[in-house]
Amino acid sequence: MAAPTARARSSIRLERRSEAIAAYALIAVPMILFLVLNIGSIFYALFISLWKWNVRSGPVDFKGLENYGTLLGDPIFLRAIQNSVYYTLVWVPLTMVIGLSLAVIVNQKIRGRTFFRAAFYFPAIASSAAITILWIFIVSPDGLFNTVRGAMGLNPLFELFGFGPNKNWIGDQDTALNSVIILNAWTTSGTFMLFYLASLQSIGNQVYEAAAIDGATAWQTFRHVTLPLLRPGHYFVATVAVIGALQLFDQAAIAGGIAGDPNNALMTMVLYLYNAAFSRFDFGYAAAVGIALFVVIFGATLVQRRLFGQAPSW
Amino acid sequence: MRRLLVLAAAASLVAVACGGGTASPSPAETEGPGPSASPGETASTGWDPTAISGPAILSGWRSSPEEGEALTQALLGFPAQYPNIQVDYRPIAGDYRTVMITKISSGEVPDLFYVNAEYAQEWIDQGFLAPLDDYIAKSGFDTGQFFDGYASIFRGKDGKTYGFPKDGNTIAMAYNSTIVTSPPKTMDELVSAATALVGQSGLAAPICLNPGLDRGLAFLYAQGGSLVSDDGATEQISTDASRAAVQWYLDLFKNGIGKTAADLGSGWCGEALGKGQVAIAFEGGWVDPYMASTFPDIKYGWAEMPTGSSGSPVTISYTVSYSIGADSVNKDQAFVLLTYLAGKDGMEKWTAGGVALPSRRDVPIPAGKEVLAKGSDYARPGSGFMPGYVDVQKAFQDAFTAQIQGKTYDAGPVVDATRAAIDKALSQ
Repeated sequence: MAAPTARARSSIRLERRSEAIAAYALIAVPMILFLVLNIGSIFYALFISLWKWNVRSGPVDFKGLENYGTLLGDPIFLRAIQNSVYYTLVWVPLTMVIGLSLAVIVNQKIRGRTFFRAAFYFPAIASSAAITILWIFIVSPDGLFNTVRGAMGLNPLFELFGFGPNKNWIGDQDTALNSVIILNAWTTSGTFMLFYLASLQSIGNQVYEAAAIDGATAWQTFRHVTLPLLRPGHYFVATVAVIGALQLFDQAAIAGGIAGDPNNALMTMVLYLYNAAFSRFDFGYAAAVGIALFVVIFGATLVQRRLFGQAPSW
Repeated sequence: MRRLLVLAAAASLVAVACGGGTASPSPAETEGPGPSASPGETASTGWDPTAISGPAILSGWRSSPEEGEALTQALLGFPAQYPNIQVDYRPIAGDYRTVMITKISSGEVPDLFYVNAEYAQEWIDQGFLAPLDDYIAKSGFDTGQFFDGYASIFRGKDGKTYGFPKDGNTIAMAYNSTIVTSPPKTMDELVSAATALVGQSGLAAPICLNPGLDRGLAFLYAQGGSLVSDDGATEQISTDASRAAVQWYLDLFKNGIGKTAADLGSGWCGEALGKGQVAIAFEGGWVDPYMASTFPDIKYGWAEMPTGSSGSPVTISYTVSYSIGADSVNKDQAFVLLTYLAGKDGMEKWTAGGVALPSRRDVPIPAGKEVLAKGSDYARPGSGFMPGYVDVQKAFQDAFTAQIQGKTYDAGPVVDATRAAIDKALSQ
């Protein structure tokens, strides 16, 4: 085959350059918005966090790292971190397991598969505020949950764990956070089911056929074939879940108010930030909380990269 | 770089100059009396509200349709007196405080707006509100008619006035008159009456109580306790009297006399009273429209807070001001609107339907509000009387809740946590 002439090479270079210019022009607008609104905001928050900041007039006194020192010495902030970490450690695996289980079920060739997919996903599309209020009614002292367990004769079983017949699940400092975990596991597992379903359907049939030829049982196939091949799915779901868990706000605020009642049981890092900004009007301090939250989320994501390996290329 | 800074500064100056062009002159900027005084003019100062023209943006929250209707009625009377001022009412839905903070931050502040006593001191300290003293002096507006328990909250540390209370509410005892035929007058009688009701069929508890200072402060005062000294300089929660008062309040829960609304499965104590879960609740006038619309069949009455060991009648009050923002554009128009709404005529129209109590002595008491209004004479502020009160409230409520839910009922940790929060607030 003849080598391209100099003229042809020049023409290809020009074409590639014009394609590159067009590509950069197309991504310029979203990139500028991203740099200003996301990256720029982080640096602006970092700047604000070094000051005593008046909402109306801006910087008042330079405080250096004082806001960060105050933060680490505040027991309510430490409680907020404790709550957020506990919530993440319990809610993320729980919801991933439920989401994966649902995905495996609706991935089978069963009757009414479409209905089950829609039914499992339905809580995820309901309004977060509406479904939280519904949940508050369900687990209130005279709510559906207590009524049903009483009618089923389960109260003696609950008594063994110290839960009386009219237990206020979401108003009790010992059970409030777990109540929110269950609520969010219910409402979010449908979304995780969709993520896992997409991953499951990307696994080729030939590996299952090979497993069947080798005589693998259903559990062995799931444990040694499906689960390892879902690694990219695990990475994606876990990353999204951890970030979402550390940003818990709306359900906690609706269930316990912005004070994180009862007794800070529902105080989360974002709720604490909100209080600093809008209850105490201390924007410098609130910015320091925001930076701390950023560091925690960034660190958690790095840890997950270590756990699940490099980010897969989808 | 230097050129950039100069350009930015120049641009800022141009922006300020252009922005200032539409602003009304403040009293400090205006000259003395004009050549001819109109009927509404204050002769000695030249303040003539009828001569002021332009728009005034009014903002606040709307708690109920009744409130919206009452404010509409009040505003309908304004153009007749001040035809040159156009009121643009823009109620704020959702989280009022958060929305207002974003408006203050961006400099887009309404001309006149509500400020809850709960955060009034912080807003004054942070310079969000305009002082009204020059306007008061210039206009001769009589501030002596306001009950001091309401008005004092909107005075800053500098002694200046930053708002007038638009109305008020006091805490009193709402009781189911079918169950409680003779309301208790003292705290001892309250305990006796409630103890007799423990276990009565249909009642989850005799009294609905709040685990925080929202209502607990009234009991603390009634039993001779306090949070801070009268001059606000030192904490008083750790005194023997305060400690005993907190313990007395905790014992109401310990002895099964009282339960929180949350533990009753209700959103608040008014709901618990309406559902018939309790016979007694300590609330304010907001109970009336709620009961009329939600539980019209429940018969209830009002009685003053029972007198405690302090020996004198005690209650707490809540209020909201009309204030002008430091960055409000139409301050003159806003002050005229303020004097109308917080004046005798405007407040009479606003409170006539019973949405709240008048914060002025010269406004008639709405029918059925006599007991609650009586408390206005001696009520102490229920919030906003000290800096950082939000944190003090939280510290008290968190510790108090921990004692109730842990079934330990010990005043010590509650007092310690509250004292630490007060000390921190006073030191800032």
